[in-house]
Amino acid sequence: MNEHHHGHDHTDGHEHDHTPIVNEEKPGYYEILEISIRELLIEKGIIKADEVRKQIEVLDSRSPVLGSKLVVKAWLDPDFRVRLIHNGNAAAEEMGISIYDNTEFTILEDTPEVHHVIVCTLCSCYPRPILGLPPDWYKSKEYRARTVKEPRAVLAEFGTVISDDVQIVVQDSTASQRYMVLPLRPQGTENFTEAELESLVTRDTMIGVTIPRI
Amino acid sequence: MSSERLVKKLPNDIGGTGCSTDKVHIFERELYPWEKRCHALLDVLDYHKIINTEEKRRGTENIGSEMASQLSYYEKWIVSASNLLLQKGILTPDAIAVKTKEVAARFNVTL
Amino acid sequence: MTMKIVDHKPALFKEGEKAKIAEKFPIGHYRVPMYVRGKTVLIVKNLGRHINPELEAFGKNAGDEEWYYQVTIPQKELWPDYEGKDDDLLEIEVFEPWLDPINNAL
Repeated sequence: MNEHHHGHDHTDGHEHDHTPIVNEEKPGYYEILEISIRELLIEKGIIKADEVRKQIEVLDSRSPVLGSKLVVKAWLDPDFRVRLIHNGNAAAEEMGISIYDNTEFTILEDTPEVHHVIVCTLCSCYPRPILGLPPDWYKSKEYRARTVKEPRAVLAEFGTVISDDVQIVVQDSTASQRYMVLPLRPQGTENFTEAELESLVTRDTMIGVTIPRI
Repeated sequence: MSSERLVKKLPNDIGGTGCSTDKVHIFERELYPWEKRCHALLDVLDYHKIINTEEKRRGTENIGSEMASQLSYYEKWIVSASNLLLQKGILTPDAIAVKTKEVAARFNVTL
Repeated sequence: MTMKIVDHKPALFKEGEKAKIAEKFPIGHYRVPMYVRGKTVLIVKNLGRHINPELEAFGKNAGDEEWYYQVTIPQKELWPDYEGKDDDLLEIEVFEPWLDPINNAL
C-alpha cells in the first residue's frame, strides 16, 4: 500500500540503521511485530540477521522464468520430459534449481485430452522454489473456494475456455507435493526459438488458468 | 446454526463454498518489504526446525474465524509465529510487549 | 549385506483400488477438506510415506510416518450441480488414516 519513500529526517534523535531491508514508511502493527520477533530471535542467538537476508535473496531468485525453461526443455527434449515427470526435484537440480523446502516438485502433464489446473483450497501450496511467490488471486477466498467446484467458470474468468471434449483435472494440493502444469505446446511453433517458446509459457499457464497461445 | 461448526471446521477449509457471483479478483502486488522479511523469517525458522510449515499453518488456523477473516495473509503468518514461539517457551509475552514498544518508539509510532 | 528391518505396516491400498474418505471430525488441525469427507475415491498413486501432518502440526518433526495416496473423485459425485464434462476429476492427496476400505466402510 505505501510506496517506499526516502523522505523522513533524523530530527527525532534516534539513529537507525538504513539497511536495505528496512522500510522507511511508518510501520503498522504487524510490521512492528515482525521486526520485534526477528530482533528478539537474533538477540537470543536463535537465528542470525544474515540468514533472513540470504533467504530473501533466495526468494527473489525464483520466478516463473525458471518454470518456463523447464517446460520448454521438456517440449524440445523428450528424454528430459520423462526425467522431469519421473522426478521433478532431480530434473530441476539438473537445471541448477535447488528445491530448498523439502517438497516434491511434481509435474502435471497436459495432453490433448486432459487439462490440469492447480489450487490449494486449505492454504496456498505453490511450487515456490520454481515459480517464486504466488499471486494474490491464487491465495484468495474466491479462487480457493470455487476452482474445485466450477473450474470451467473460474478459467473463463481468466479468459480460458476449455473445450467440452477435454477432461479437466483439478489438483487440490494438500501434502508435500508441489505442482506445476506442463502445458501443451501450441500448434504453429515448430520454428520458434527457445526464447520465443519461453515467452509463451507464462506463470498462469503453469498454474493451469490459461494455456499458451501464439 | 450451532457453534460446534466453528470447532469442527477450520476457518481456512473453504473448498466448495461461495457461489458463481464471487468472481476471482485477478489482482497481484509485490510483497511489502516486511512481508518478504516475514516469509524469509518463517523459512529460516523451518530450516532450523524451530517452527515447521505444518505448525505455521496450524497457527494461522487456530486464531479463530474472526481473526482469520480480518488478518491478511502475512499478518496471519507473523501472529502464528509469535504464538508458536510463546508456546514453545522461546519468547515470553512480556518480551514481545517490551520489544514492540521499543520498536514502535524507534519509528515514532504509538501502539 | 544386512537385512533392513521394516518397522512399518505395508500400504493398505493398491493403485486402482477404491476407498472411502472417512467421516470424522478431528480438532486442532487436519488436511482433508470437508468437501471430500465421506466420498468414494480411486487410488491412483501410492505417494510413499511421510510424517502425519496432524502430528507434524503439533511439533513432531520425525517418526509417525504414514502411507499417503493420490486419489481422484469424479466432480459430478462432489457437486450436485456440476457443469462440465462427465469425467472431470478432482485429485487430492490423502493420508491412510483417513481412508477406509470400501467393504468395511462404517
